[in-house]
Amino acid sequence: MDSRGERRGFSLQQSDLMCKKGCGFYGNAVWQGFCSRCWRQETQCSQAKQIEDDRALAERLQREEEAAYASSRQEEHPPPQSSRTHSVPIVKRLFTSAPKTPARTDAGAPQTPLSRSTSLGRQPSADRDHVTQHFIDFLKPFQRPGYDIFKQCHAFVENIAHKKVAVRGEDFSDSVQDFYQNISENLQTNFKGSPDVMDEVERYVMGRLYEQLFCPDHTDDEKKDLVIQKRIRALHWVSIEMLCVPVDEQIPKVSDSVERAITDLIDLDSRKVPREKLACVTRCSKHIMTAIQGSKKAAASADDFLPTLVYIVLRANPPRLHSNIQYITRYSNPSRLMSGEDGYYFTNLCCAVAFIEKLDAQSLNLSHEDFQLYMSGASSPSGPKAASSGHSSQNGFREERRAAEPQRDTDLIEWSDGQELSVLGLLEEPPAHTHTSDTFTIDSDNIGGDSLPPPLQPQKFTG
Amino acid sequence: MAAAGGKTYSFKVVLLGEGCVGKTSLVLRYCENKFNDKHITTLQASFLTKKLNITGKRVNLAIWDTAGQERFHALGPIYYRDSNGAILVYDVTDEDSFQKVKNWVKELRKMLGNEICLCIVGNKIDLEKDRHVSVEEAEGYAESVGAKHYHTSAKLNKGIEELFLDLCKRMMETAQAEERSRGNGASHTSTARRGVQIVDDESQAAMPAGGCCSSG
Repeated sequence: MDSRGERRGFSLQQSDLMCKKGCGFYGNAVWQGFCSRCWRQETQCSQAKQIEDDRALAERLQREEEAAYASSRQEEHPPPQSSRTHSVPIVKRLFTSAPKTPARTDAGAPQTPLSRSTSLGRQPSADRDHVTQHFIDFLKPFQRPGYDIFKQCHAFVENIAHKKVAVRGEDFSDSVQDFYQNISENLQTNFKGSPDVMDEVERYVMGRLYEQLFCPDHTDDEKKDLVIQKRIRALHWVSIEMLCVPVDEQIPKVSDSVERAITDLIDLDSRKVPREKLACVTRCSKHIMTAIQGSKKAAASADDFLPTLVYIVLRANPPRLHSNIQYITRYSNPSRLMSGEDGYYFTNLCCAVAFIEKLDAQSLNLSHEDFQLYMSGASSPSGPKAASSGHSSQNGFREERRAAEPQRDTDLIEWSDGQELSVLGLLEEPPAHTHTSDTFTIDSDNIGGDSLPPPLQPQKFTG
Repeated sequence: MAAAGGKTYSFKVVLLGEGCVGKTSLVLRYCENKFNDKHITTLQASFLTKKLNITGKRVNLAIWDTAGQERFHALGPIYYRDSNGAILVYDVTDEDSFQKVKNWVKELRKMLGNEICLCIVGNKIDLEKDRHVSVEEAEGYAESVGAKHYHTSAKLNKGIEELFLDLCKRMMETAQAEERSRGNGASHTSTARRGVQIVDDESQAAMPAGGCCSSG
């Protein structure tokens, strides 16, 4: 009775609460009265229309420009060099009018790594428009040569995107590398080999082609990603001592650097351009160097660095590691990969992954039996005991991970094969509840604990 | 990836050798002129670069330190791929470290042939009285495998400049010989890949509209 009276207090009818489309779900004022699903459909439609409009505009401009160019040639039949004076205004027009296509602010806004990686498939064309826009803006000051570069890159992207390039087995890395070679020779003559332009070319081309070229269907990259991910998860018990890592995480500054290194390594997956991915690896490595220097008070050598990197990779378990390495190897500007700092750190990352793949009892100074036991999960090395539970943050974090790891593992193995993005989400999700190190040690001694009844729930006594 | 545009050479040199033979001290001494310095400015000593000017030619040297622990030995090929030179360091007071160098030499020659310039370096000659690797043996071995042998002390800063200068000159000779064998203009094609031109706008742009059918 009471409740009915209260109901009358609202002026809303039941039907007003429903989705405007009448799909049967509840609507929400935030979504203009639609339910979440219908709202998404609506916005996608309008976005697609917007993109369609933009493309039509761009095509019209292109046609106009070509027509103007052709007519200027027909009038006078000048040799290409002298036609330059005529074409400059046209070029200018293209370069200045193109920005009028509404630059979407949401695509330009810096996104957090998480939202980026989860929205990968959702707004590719908005991103692509943004990439194109940026490239045009960059080349504008170069006038004619800049326009030529743009045309060349644009044609290449279109060719690849529509698979006009004849290659065996859809492996475009050779095409892309040849393209880089051509462009860099072109730049050498027209731009005096300015490295900036080459970087922007890479950014444009790979930004446009990322969806197609990253972890492509015809390779087994995805399978290998999962293999590595499982392998790293199975190695969750590997400790800093076993790897002889010269890093002392009890020092707050050092553990801070370690966390940063892990973050940067995970960030690797959220970047689209090989150069930016490489920059993530380099940033990660720099943090590692800081951590080592902070622990040892001496310059970090390779003897210190590689084990630490292995440790960081194990702790980070970066998503789609194999795909990322393959992508960088296939599509990075070769001069960057072969020499220079980025190349060195990337090589080390490859080494660390190779080491993790082949890692055995000997490489951790363990007996074969122990190694097998730990790998099968039947036993785990006696970790830091209760005495260290006082050192809250970093140890707590590690314990937490270890405790959460096996459970996550079984969930995923049964469920996964393919759902990379969901795996990503799961990995980045913080564990729902924390285990103290006490419970962890007790549990770990409890072999065959599966048959035990579920743990007691804490009960509240009032009064 | 030797000569990049005109007269600048870029070389990659890997440092190989067991842990504790002084690889890092060697390269720190060379690039920063420091040894066990309390006042550390360099964050790391694993990747260092040095710019040189040898007989009027610019040389960019990138020195790649490698992890010397036995368990990382199998990763060697990933490091020394595409390198122009290798510096193999052993400790003159440690016979074992010399054996390791021999292993490295075998591996490098097998994987990279004679393209790579090898330097065998006996470090820590300041500890001459504890020497366990004889000079004759080491130099004899180096000659037998086509490598050069050097004695250095990172602590006393002895022999290090000579080592790197010599190595650079040899790498330049190798690069020049390679260029010559490939004919003129090799510096450009040196990194060129099998070049099928894929993107060719010009062919379309250069073709006058309906040009093939127009008469006269």
